[in-house]
Amino acid sequence: MTSPAKADGTAPGGGLAARLPAGVRERLTETVSQVAAGGALIVVFIYLSFASPEFLTSDNLFNVGAQTAVTAIIAMGMTLVIITAGIDLSVGAVAALAGVIGAKAMSELGIPVIPAIGLGVLTGAAAGVINGVLITWAGMAPFIATLGMMSVARGTLDISTNAVAVFGLPDDFQLLGQGEIGPVPIPVIVIAVVAVIGHIVLTRTKLGRYSYAIGSNPEAARLSGIPIRLYLTIVYTICGALAGLGGMIAASRVSSGQPNFGIGLELDVIAAAVIGGASLFGGQGTIVGTLIGAFLIALIRNGSVLLDINIFVQSVVIGVVIWLAVIWDRFRRRKLQAGAA
Amino acid sequence: MKQRALAIGIALVALGAVIAGCGAETHKSGGSSGGTKQGAIRIAVVPKAVGFSFWEDAHKGATCAASKQKDVKVQWDGVSAETDVSGQVDLLQNFLTSGVDGLVYAATDAKTLFNVTKQAISKKTPVVNIDSGTNPQPKEVPVYATDNVQAATKVPDLIAKQLGPQGGTVAFIPFQAGTVTNDQRTQGFKQGLKKHPELKLVATQSSQSDVNTGLRVTQDILTAHPDLNAIFAANEPGVIGAAQAVKQAGKAGKITIVGWDAASDEVKGVSDGEITALVVQNPFRMGYDAVTAMVKRIRKGTEPASEDTGVTIVTKSNMNEPAVQALLRPSCQTPPTLGSG
Repeated sequence: MTSPAKADGTAPGGGLAARLPAGVRERLTETVSQVAAGGALIVVFIYLSFASPEFLTSDNLFNVGAQTAVTAIIAMGMTLVIITAGIDLSVGAVAALAGVIGAKAMSELGIPVIPAIGLGVLTGAAAGVINGVLITWAGMAPFIATLGMMSVARGTLDISTNAVAVFGLPDDFQLLGQGEIGPVPIPVIVIAVVAVIGHIVLTRTKLGRYSYAIGSNPEAARLSGIPIRLYLTIVYTICGALAGLGGMIAASRVSSGQPNFGIGLELDVIAAAVIGGASLFGGQGTIVGTLIGAFLIALIRNGSVLLDINIFVQSVVIGVVIWLAVIWDRFRRRKLQAGAA
Repeated sequence: MKQRALAIGIALVALGAVIAGCGAETHKSGGSSGGTKQGAIRIAVVPKAVGFSFWEDAHKGATCAASKQKDVKVQWDGVSAETDVSGQVDLLQNFLTSGVDGLVYAATDAKTLFNVTKQAISKKTPVVNIDSGTNPQPKEVPVYATDNVQAATKVPDLIAKQLGPQGGTVAFIPFQAGTVTNDQRTQGFKQGLKKHPELKLVATQSSQSDVNTGLRVTQDILTAHPDLNAIFAANEPGVIGAAQAVKQAGKAGKITIVGWDAASDEVKGVSDGEITALVVQNPFRMGYDAVTAMVKRIRKGTEPASEDTGVTIVTKSNMNEPAVQALLRPSCQTPPTLGSG
């Protein structure tokens, strides 16, 4: 970490946290909130293992992995956006648009599977570029710019499909969402690849460092010469591209481009990041935390079906988990900061 | 005495004619039609949501009916999700304000939409419901719909026939609690189950009218009940999701799937032997008959009567009959006639 925080790192007195350099202290707060979400994940996991005999089977666990792929992958892009103190409300609509465009490319234009998947990802990236430009060059608040994109993407989607699902996709395309390598579903492998790259980007690259810097203190970031506009646009482009990838996986899982896919998905995605310790005020968030958040939501959904719990109850439980995660996060941060003062 | 009664009678008739005449005058100037209206007319046709081939078939029926009349224009518009009740209310109110001559719509929520019907009646704009009516249903508003309760009682019979006398376990995938069609199909299905003690309902999980959710809950149900014998999914996204999950679990053809509606992938599922039977409604006829009745109501003042547009059970053995094909691929050249009563 070459952050300027290092200079004023060693504050005198206080507890353990206060004696650590600021960079390390930040890491510690993040790890702590991950431990909170991770703890909840473990509790739910253990509970389900006892409550449902079918839960702890490799088939079911891989299933959960595949089921959470779309949310988890998009949530990692969202984490990057949230770290910069931004938000992307368009991911659900963009995922659906990408899925439908990729599906149409295959079924109507006969484009082969891999380029068609690429086209879906590019569609998402293009939406991301537009979001980024609207936010940085036109000076729109991220909330507004991406809200507009959500509407534009849904509208484009309905115009291009007349709101009817696209069927007749080639069998090879099913591999992306339904295939397996050994016992491991391909969507789970995609999660792993995106997670490893995402973790490296966040912790070891200029893009990652700049993102945290922009989110923590945009003014300081600007004064220290970070090209904020460029990096924010890159961040939204990555988020859009991952939404596009998620949309292609969703299309592959049901072998069709569904125009109604992803309504409300953005909320699941944001919830995953927030449960995993990302702060909507910016500067906080990790890939591991977000993965934990996504899996926690997926486990609650999976367990609810295994135990045949009413869908409405599931929504309440997930909402309460979001509250608890944020309250816990706040509480821990305050304690650490109190220790530092 | 007789002469006096006759005189009063004539006077009353004359008075009635004058009142009616006045009424017709005012309405002509107001643009809407309480009495009858000649010349060009504009009818708004609003499905529960655009998308899903079901509503596209209703659209075809409505446009077909309009094309067979002189100077009738159908305006087709809808919200993008069947759950968007307030969006539909706004849309219908906008149509009313714009002064359409008639309103044909499917209610996303029976109680809420009753208010819109009431407003239309007070503006003297005639209303016809397709697929889903309101609660209460005003007597001047006919419903062109499937008798969902009646049709759903046939489903357990189909499953029982398929599983034989030893019966088995059944999962039920409804789509959206609170909508009339969902609740009626649930009611009918459960009524029908009472006749078959050999069928055991082991899981009920909603698809929320979303293919990916349908896929996910079915996967989880299969995990919880590996020995499941049959599934009834009560609308198109649920059926496609369920069939996909069963196929991915390698149990295609081994689990009886009874579905509802006839999207192209559902029909393909029947021909591939993945779906045992489909309860197919006649949305084309709903749209066609509703618009035809609406035109009659506007031009001639004829009060239309409600109509059960019927269902047809489509299986692999009857799906290639011309009459069934006309139902599955309705067009204005070959309007489907099946499924009356």
